[in-house]
Amino acid sequence: MTVVDIPPPLPVRDRSDQRDVAAGALSPMLRRLAEEEATGVLVREHGTLYLAQGRVVHAESPLAPGLGVLLTAHGTLAATAWRRATEHSTSPADAARLLLDAGLLPEGALELCHLDALYDAGYFALAPSSTPGRFRYDGAPRLGPLPSVPVVSLERETLRRRLLLHRLWPDPAADSAPLIRADPAGAAQVPPRRRAVLERVDGARTALRIAHDLGRQAFHTLVDVRRLTADGLLAPMPVPTAPDPPPAGFHPPAPLTVTDPDIALLKRLRNALEAL
Amino acid sequence: MPGIDECLLEAMRLPGARGAALVDWTSGLALGTVGEAPGGDHETTAAEAAELARLAAEHGAFSAGESEDGRPPVEDVIVSNHDSYHLLRFVDTSFDSSVFLHLWVGRAEGNLALARIRLGEMADRLVLG
Repeated sequence: MTVVDIPPPLPVRDRSDQRDVAAGALSPMLRRLAEEEATGVLVREHGTLYLAQGRVVHAESPLAPGLGVLLTAHGTLAATAWRRATEHSTSPADAARLLLDAGLLPEGALELCHLDALYDAGYFALAPSSTPGRFRYDGAPRLGPLPSVPVVSLERETLRRRLLLHRLWPDPAADSAPLIRADPAGAAQVPPRRRAVLERVDGARTALRIAHDLGRQAFHTLVDVRRLTADGLLAPMPVPTAPDPPPAGFHPPAPLTVTDPDIALLKRLRNALEAL
Repeated sequence: MPGIDECLLEAMRLPGARGAALVDWTSGLALGTVGEAPGGDHETTAAEAAELARLAAEHGAFSAGESEDGRPPVEDVIVSNHDSYHLLRFVDTSFDSSVFLHLWVGRAEGNLALARIRLGEMADRLVLG
């Protein structure tokens, strides 16, 4: 399991620039980089975006399983083939290109996984952060055979996903905490994909860990977790009032602000969508 | 081995095809679109089609019994109205996903039976090569 090590929160950035927020920009810096068609790497608190000529070519986040997990978890690609490809390349996007050139994967399957991984990690990378992002101009990210995504599209989709989660169940507590079954008898009517999530709830696993186990996108897992929470079938592990000293080797889940939606922004977005 | 765009362009060559999209039914995201969309907006169409696809996939009434092997429980969803057909074909992938192909076909020029067979073949080729 990937353990997220988030530094202590720094002073919150000044959010007085309401113009950009009103325009739906999740990161004013990202919007500027897109406008100047920048190429490089944007490192944010919860993830990293790779830009080539102002378009997003790849995204990574410690909160999302990533392309390698999606491709290898169910044997679509042998784990050794993925390892070999990543050893010979500088980024997962380059590795994917090598696999494509070698004919190890159907193009459609690879494009699909690539876009899934990009939007999934991008969602977390654009989550509200307590520290400013850093951009490094770098010629390495390139527009390649795999599809790239305009910054505006990733931002719009990320906002839509936040709204979707918020509508399913407004409390983000279950997104990052270890999960417990709330009603072990009530699982009869759960559809198969959601049941796979529910069956892995054991009081220790988090949504992210379940996503890794299933080789599934983290956001997809959050959708199921929120639906299951709304149905009263699972709940976040209650936080003990007087925490015991953690046993050796136990890493408490890092606190997240990932799906804490900006309600005012979401309401404006909803109104704008409904006005279309 | 076709990519997403080639697959959608191939779907557009079917008689009467007006628009096609590859859509994720968990998130409602259109991963690729081509041609027209009803109302002119592919994003809204994708979100609405995703909701329909999800209902079909998640309600036991429409699935072919228990499918624990990860295959989509439903093959396709067909909606007809007075001037067109909508065909949603679930894509069976070897990796974890929840996507379908959405084809919009004019009723006068289209051939629903042919479109259904061809779209199924395209869905297979997209992920199997």
